[in-house]
Amino acid sequence: MTPSPTTNPPPAFGERLRRWGQRALLLQSFFGLIGVLALSIMFSPIRDDRIVFLAPGNLLNIVRFASENGIIAVGMTLVILTGGIDLSVGALLALCAVAAAAGLSKYHLGAFPTILMVLGLGAAAGFLNGLITTRLRIQSFIATLAMLSVARGAASLWSGGYAIPLSFGSGAGMAPPLFKSLFAGEVSLFGLAAPTQLFYFAAVSLIASVALQRTHFGRRVYAVGSSEAASRLSGVSVDWVKTAVFALSGLLVGLAALLHVALVNQGSHIDGSGYELNAIAAVVIGGTSLAGGSGTVLGTVIGALILSVLDNILGLRNVQSEYQLILKGFIIVLAVVLQRRR
Amino acid sequence: MIAMQRCTLTLFLALLAALPLPGCGPRETTTTTSTTVGGSTDTGAPAGGKTYLIGMSQANKGEPWRQAMNDQLAAAAKQHPELNVVFADAAQNNTKQVADVENFLQQKIDLLIISPNEAAPLTDVVAKVHQQGIPVIVLDRKVNGEAYTMWIGANNREIGQKAGEYVAAWAEKNGRKPCNVLELRGLEGSTPAKERGDGFRAGIAKNASVKIAASQNADWLREKAVPVSQSMLTAHPKADVVYGHNDPMAEAAIISAQNASVDLDRVLFVGIDALPTPDGGIKSVMDGRLDVTYVYPTGGAEAVEWALKILKDGVKPPREVVLKTQEVTSANAADLYTKYGGK
Repeated sequence: MTPSPTTNPPPAFGERLRRWGQRALLLQSFFGLIGVLALSIMFSPIRDDRIVFLAPGNLLNIVRFASENGIIAVGMTLVILTGGIDLSVGALLALCAVAAAAGLSKYHLGAFPTILMVLGLGAAAGFLNGLITTRLRIQSFIATLAMLSVARGAASLWSGGYAIPLSFGSGAGMAPPLFKSLFAGEVSLFGLAAPTQLFYFAAVSLIASVALQRTHFGRRVYAVGSSEAASRLSGVSVDWVKTAVFALSGLLVGLAALLHVALVNQGSHIDGSGYELNAIAAVVIGGTSLAGGSGTVLGTVIGALILSVLDNILGLRNVQSEYQLILKGFIIVLAVVLQRRR
Repeated sequence: MIAMQRCTLTLFLALLAALPLPGCGPRETTTTTSTTVGGSTDTGAPAGGKTYLIGMSQANKGEPWRQAMNDQLAAAAKQHPELNVVFADAAQNNTKQVADVENFLQQKIDLLIISPNEAAPLTDVVAKVHQQGIPVIVLDRKVNGEAYTMWIGANNREIGQKAGEYVAAWAEKNGRKPCNVLELRGLEGSTPAKERGDGFRAGIAKNASVKIAASQNADWLREKAVPVSQSMLTAHPKADVVYGHNDPMAEAAIISAQNASVDLDRVLFVGIDALPTPDGGIKSVMDGRLDVTYVYPTGGAEAVEWALKILKDGVKPPREVVLKTQEVTSANAADLYTKYGGK
């Protein structure tokens, strides 16, 4: 299936141009983040002569709440880079969250088997997304829309229409505390209580980023997104690449679901509603083109952080949620317009 | 390529066929339409008695509170073999709910119970049913006009006010001056959120030292309320009370308070809804997380009671039945959990 790498040397000039473009875009996202941070510091409430926004605890909270969306958005970036879209992530998160809660508190599988089951479920659903897209020749928008519907329905059936609550402890019917400390615990880092979510987010971003920039797989992801026909002609197995990115997206949704369940102490069929839009927003703010072929994981990470910073500062200032929604809309448009000017 | 496509299609269809997965929760009331509860139309008739077909049109079973309404209604109907209830779920879609009711008319229901998604879009179809001489019981949200038999529901404003009065008294008793309240609101623009907010403000007016320090919307959702309450607690670490417009949001604030190492015993956590489910507010009070919550009765059981009176005894019901709330604290939580059929 996989063509030997030697048959597919990337065009040197195009490759360099692409890299240069990426760096410029990234710079822009960075400035965006710095701008949002500066505004947040300016508008932060002040207590005891201290800027509340800059308190280490608050900054760590921003990362804590960026992680879930960020991890999903990294998977979304891979899919979007190939020119596809994954609308099923929110519903799949609900299904995986229900699976995790059921595994822990109904079937008493223990922490690690549950983790494996949830990651497997996410990856399998993503793989199915890929198969339906590539083999049945259905556009990913439609294939994943169908998966959204199926996953939401299955989550509701499985949970019986109520959330499955988790209490962590060693008693009967309780979930292993290990799960909580793995996915929503805190680790002492430079004297600060760093949320464990941070490490998953960082690891996922790093691995995805390196894989995209430094491996054959990564180059093929960009190639498929730039031109499917050209990739196919040069021997890239387009279907395989597409299926792989959907499976990875599903796997990352599974991981996000583990963080989600550990954070909110339950798995519910109504969870994750609208998460696909948040993830797409992070990807777009991060400078990835919905047309495929251009964008970076680092940009997406910045996009997710910008969104989380916004939520945080508007919450600190007690701004009405309607304005938060409106502002988010403006920022998405602004980010895309700024990135097009070159 | 074609062969592969076939193969995937077959796999897809096989998965589809396997969909009613074994062990995926209760089947009785979870399928969308035409699940009957009680005896079946052909055989379930008690000797010499008449059977009645009741259509229950639910606005959105996705909300746990409405799922509880259906469950309580089904449980009550089960006690009466002469009643057959068919359920429909509109999944928060007005058009779908109109179609559901039309569908019931085709099935020749003897009585309609409806919990409307919104008043205006459902007024006409409810009137149509009523004009055909079929009694209509409206639950929770109302429809416009007069063309229905009766309305059963609770008073959100009154519940909000009771919560406010509880907070006012608690602040007085514990000497909290000032007493800072963080409010987690339901979906902006929804009537229950407005009424629970307004009622609460009327309730705390009894104690001038109680102030709402911050008020944020979290769409009724626990997952949304976690980050929202985290910001609120960062901005107001000395908060005395958290008032959630529903239990899941109040629970979320407890998670945030734990994350922020706030002394949980110092803060009063107040919720509303008190569902008798494992994820509900009553259990939370029993487990010592929420301090107090208020039952927002679904009216499911009451609707069945009135349906029986209307159909069997020919009773002319009152136009409105307002259901009473109940305060849930650690003193009565366990009893109420049993009383409301908690499982």
